[in-house]
Amino acid sequence: MPKREEKRSVKTEAKEKTNTVAYRLKCAKTANGLSHFVMYGDVSKKKTLL
Amino acid sequence: MPNSDDKMGGLAVHSIDKANTALIDADNVFWAMTAKNAEGAPFIPRQVLSLYQKQKESLDEEMRQFRFSAELSAVYIDPTDRCNSNCPYCYVPAKMRKNGAQMTKEQLRQVLNKALDYFAGKKRKPVIIFHASEPLLAKDAVFSAIREFKDKFSFGLQTNGLLLEKEDVEFLKEYRVGVGLSLDAPIRSLNNKTRPSAKGGNFDAVIRAIEWFDGYAGLNVISTMTKFNIRSLDKLVRFLHAKKVPCVLFNPVRFTRKHSLKVKPDEQVMTKNFLKAVDTAIELSQGSGRRIIVANFSNVILGIVAPEARRMMCDISPCGGGRCFLTVTASGEMIPCGEFIGLKGSSGGNIFKTGIKEAMESAPFQKIRSRFVEKIAECDICLYRNICGSPCPAELDSTGNMFQKAVFCEFYKAIIKYAFKLIAEGKEKYCFREEGWDNLVYNYQL
Repeated sequence: MPKREEKRSVKTEAKEKTNTVAYRLKCAKTANGLSHFVMYGDVSKKKTLL
Repeated sequence: MPNSDDKMGGLAVHSIDKANTALIDADNVFWAMTAKNAEGAPFIPRQVLSLYQKQKESLDEEMRQFRFSAELSAVYIDPTDRCNSNCPYCYVPAKMRKNGAQMTKEQLRQVLNKALDYFAGKKRKPVIIFHASEPLLAKDAVFSAIREFKDKFSFGLQTNGLLLEKEDVEFLKEYRVGVGLSLDAPIRSLNNKTRPSAKGGNFDAVIRAIEWFDGYAGLNVISTMTKFNIRSLDKLVRFLHAKKVPCVLFNPVRFTRKHSLKVKPDEQVMTKNFLKAVDTAIELSQGSGRRIIVANFSNVILGIVAPEARRMMCDISPCGGGRCFLTVTASGEMIPCGEFIGLKGSSGGNIFKTGIKEAMESAPFQKIRSRFVEKIAECDICLYRNICGSPCPAELDSTGNMFQKAVFCEFYKAIIKYAFKLIAEGKEKYCFREEGWDNLVYNYQL
């Protein structure tokens, strides 16, 4: 999947450039970035668990 | 120690290991990691401080929202108080497990309709989880509810597997139900010590079920760490990976009931073996092309790299109990979390007489939401306070004071430090399902 490859290469490249790592991620799937507790439910075919 | 570090530009300078130093703002979990110089001294790049100044205000606000909003997203329902097992660490009182209440189909429908009323107008599909004691003792009611409400809720089920039949597994897969199976060890005799049943234990039933599930994405295995199984965690990871289980949780035994103390593992032994299991999962995930994650460790990594995307709400304070989720017992009592079952003064009302909104506003629920790390001695100055959350309030409340640090405080400190180390080594992505990692986007990066 080309999109995934792109994303991963960006992350790797950023780490190779410097000995310092600092980043923050957020969940892209929900409007407010919160995903709360979905360990059990929410297993749609495209569902992202942990 | 995570509470004895110098500060620089508002950031605590914290040694992770011989090679790496972290700079941390404990309040909003801003962090940066940098390699030490040849003398082993920390090196602070200037751009870290400017990034921190730029992000601080928005991170403070995000963390405040995440911690102190009360937005329910899941309801645990115990359709029965009864159980066909007798685990030595169970938090459900023995009398309830033997002679407790059990919901009828109609009562379960009533509960789900109440939940529907509460969630009306919310954007996200709410989650219903059928949980302890053993929900499959009320299988007809549970499956009938899943059929009827399949478009309204996402469903989960936590079971010891003893009553699972092949057609049940097909049903659960068809309805995309998230399923947690309880299994403590990869060896029958060891597992059955802490997961007993009338016919010996649940080992054979769970293994059979895992094979029927056959790599199902919604399957996870929950293992309680005790003095009996603590040295076999890595073997359990290998065993489950070979059986295509994608996710395992290693929960430290809780002491909400005093009898659990009899199976308490040594904390250092637990830490060492837990991390060994994490390493095993990473090794298998890197080397085999098929991942297995230790979900409660993944949640710790999330607590660092994406704090507001955390999935399990035990590792934050206030915890998720009575805030992000609640439990409805078989007799209809609404309590902040299943861990409070049988603890006096924890009911926010009975769902057959009142509503979820009233429970959320009740004094017992407010009390749990009032428990946060800034009020707890030692946690208030710990750099990891908003990654760990100092679980669990129910466990500590049962000893008379919930404003105490976590029973396994040193365990949590050690695994958080290890999580930082893995991030410094660039291994964090192996702690997530591939699609999970790809679902996260950068808020910022250096």
